[in-house]
Amino acid sequence: MATSKKVITRVDWEKKLNDVKVRKEDMNKLVMNFLVTEGYVEAAEKFRLESGTEPDIDLATITDRMAVKKAVQSGNVEDAIEKVNDLNPEILDTNPQLYFHLQQQRLIELIRNGKVEEALEFAQEELAPRGEENQGFLQELERTVALLAFEDVTNCPVGELLDISQRLKTASEVNAAILTSQSHEKDPKLPSLLKMLVWVQNQLDEKAAYPRITDLSTAALEDPAS
Amino acid sequence: MSEATSQSEPPAKDLIGSYFLDLWLYTSKTLALKPETELKSEFEEEGEESPTALDTLNSSGGFSVVGPDKLSLLYPNANLHGHDVGVVQANRPAPLKRLLYYFEMYVKSAGAKGQISIGFTTSAFKLRRQPGWEANSYGYHGDDGLLYRGHGKGDPFGPTYTTGDTVGGGINYATQEFFFTKNGVVVGSVYKDVKGPVFPTVAVHSQNEEVTVNFGKDPFIFDLKAYEAEQRDKQQSKIDNVHIPQDASYGIIRSYLQHYGYEETLKLLDIAGKSTVPPVSVVPENSLNEKDGTYALNQRKTLRQLIKSGKIDETFSTLGNWYPQIVQDGTSTTCFLLHCQKFIELVRDGKLEEAIMYGRSEFDKFKKLSGFDDLVKDCAALLAYEQPSKSSVGYLLQESQRELVADAVNTMILSTNPNVKDANLCVHSCLERLIRQVTACFLEKRSLNGDQGEAFQLSRILNSGKKG
Repeated sequence: MATSKKVITRVDWEKKLNDVKVRKEDMNKLVMNFLVTEGYVEAAEKFRLESGTEPDIDLATITDRMAVKKAVQSGNVEDAIEKVNDLNPEILDTNPQLYFHLQQQRLIELIRNGKVEEALEFAQEELAPRGEENQGFLQELERTVALLAFEDVTNCPVGELLDISQRLKTASEVNAAILTSQSHEKDPKLPSLLKMLVWVQNQLDEKAAYPRITDLSTAALEDPAS
Repeated sequence: MSEATSQSEPPAKDLIGSYFLDLWLYTSKTLALKPETELKSEFEEEGEESPTALDTLNSSGGFSVVGPDKLSLLYPNANLHGHDVGVVQANRPAPLKRLLYYFEMYVKSAGAKGQISIGFTTSAFKLRRQPGWEANSYGYHGDDGLLYRGHGKGDPFGPTYTTGDTVGGGINYATQEFFFTKNGVVVGSVYKDVKGPVFPTVAVHSQNEEVTVNFGKDPFIFDLKAYEAEQRDKQQSKIDNVHIPQDASYGIIRSYLQHYGYEETLKLLDIAGKSTVPPVSVVPENSLNEKDGTYALNQRKTLRQLIKSGKIDETFSTLGNWYPQIVQDGTSTTCFLLHCQKFIELVRDGKLEEAIMYGRSEFDKFKKLSGFDDLVKDCAALLAYEQPSKSSVGYLLQESQRELVADAVNTMILSTNPNVKDANLCVHSCLERLIRQVTACFLEKRSLNGDQGEAFQLSRILNSGKKG
């Protein structure tokens, strides 16, 4: 049996909102953090000029990181691996899972391009040894090689490996690893803040009726349901 | 001219000006006091005081002796029964408005029987009993390692502790638990089933038992910061599972750039957004929101640039050309902000005499504005120092002040959009409205929870994850 909720009128709620002071500097930092983490390097440079906000990471490193991400997204995995090693050889050394996923992506691309013999050779020489070390890797390897068994690859049980989303997943992984190696958080802060808003409103809904924001893109206040 | 002492309702457009004036006043009051620390520490902002020492006024019938530094406790005689415990509370209850509270006790000597304890009690506690032996009290006892929480019989909890050990007692407001540590390791936690303020409490009961207490003056043996981070991460993983629309952040960033007139950044972001994989969902160019967002974008950008480079004269003339309605009324708040900024720029350039003449000729007509006295005083104070940027009014010379004026002019221009019904909507960007909402919701949630726990702090989010 729910206890009665506290009702807060729009007028009262707006007073509470007006008591919150947000510093412009802090909002600018949030924006810069987003641009930098997501890799929008030209926009970040321009934002630094237009707003006077200093990025919390060297912008030069973003270009390199984005080049790696793009290479993976376009399926040029060998190129991506070379670039990552140029950036910081320790990244792949200390990240066996990432390295395996990159190699797996290479295998997928070979299969996609119909280079069956090369694919098999690659799988046996490069990936199988890793599979021996790790059960999870072995399973992934087997799934990937299974692509060769099907005529209609896009509709087979492992067809999703050929989907662009697989490339994006790997690209994301490499992006995160580079950011972490640069002592930067791998996710921008803004989405987290939005999630907090959704979460706290859900929590508060249990105890109070108050003007909510449902549409994040407009931040419009909706009057409390009476 | 009638002498209006009370401020009559300013015209609609000047509500915008008043908003920025109030913002300046707020900054003046908070920053002017401590130029070195831009932002008050999280805890100062909450205005709660923490325990600093043992309470000597309210101690029990003299069974134990509190040391002169008020951070040590000794039980000199032999005890006779269960009602002559030497128990002492801290001088204040544990503060509520934070994630965790913690304090430690070092056992200097376990004396004859090691009947020492650490815990939390309320103001109603009988100060001759071990914490945990009475209702609404909790105690982790050294002689048996049990946790007592309101009855004579304790629950198995952790190891015993004796001479040379450091034990700690803490409150986790997020989980509503008391937790205890021994020599830097968490022993366990228990649900906090007591309402209202609780006092950190220590007790000694056998001859020659002696303990010292640390309320934070010295570093703790327990890594509280790491524990705090762990607890926050736990909270965070609950939040991470929340679903938000794809590209919501991208859209909010765009709208922010549009709102404040960062035109060049917006252009580059849009180009980049089209070439990401997958491309960010494109905003329809002639949607109403988009039109309103890009209203006078180029001009707002230009004016922001002028103000941020300190070119106030040019700002006035450009506004006169493009938006005469904004500067028509020479006594408007916007004009006041601009004139003050001109004064500040003259001081920045070392042209003190010119600044004085400027101030004398321009400031007077704004006498009726609320906050006039304080703000003009701040501006004038700049003249008194050889190094004004290091003074208590140094904040005026920072970029943030130029930013404030630029934001005010920006909002005034946005309000000239004939499609805008309510001028007030121009004041805050979507991002700002979201931040205000999340902050207000957390405060309300906390207040409905007995005011316990931490508030939403944007600065904490921004600084989290920083290493070194």
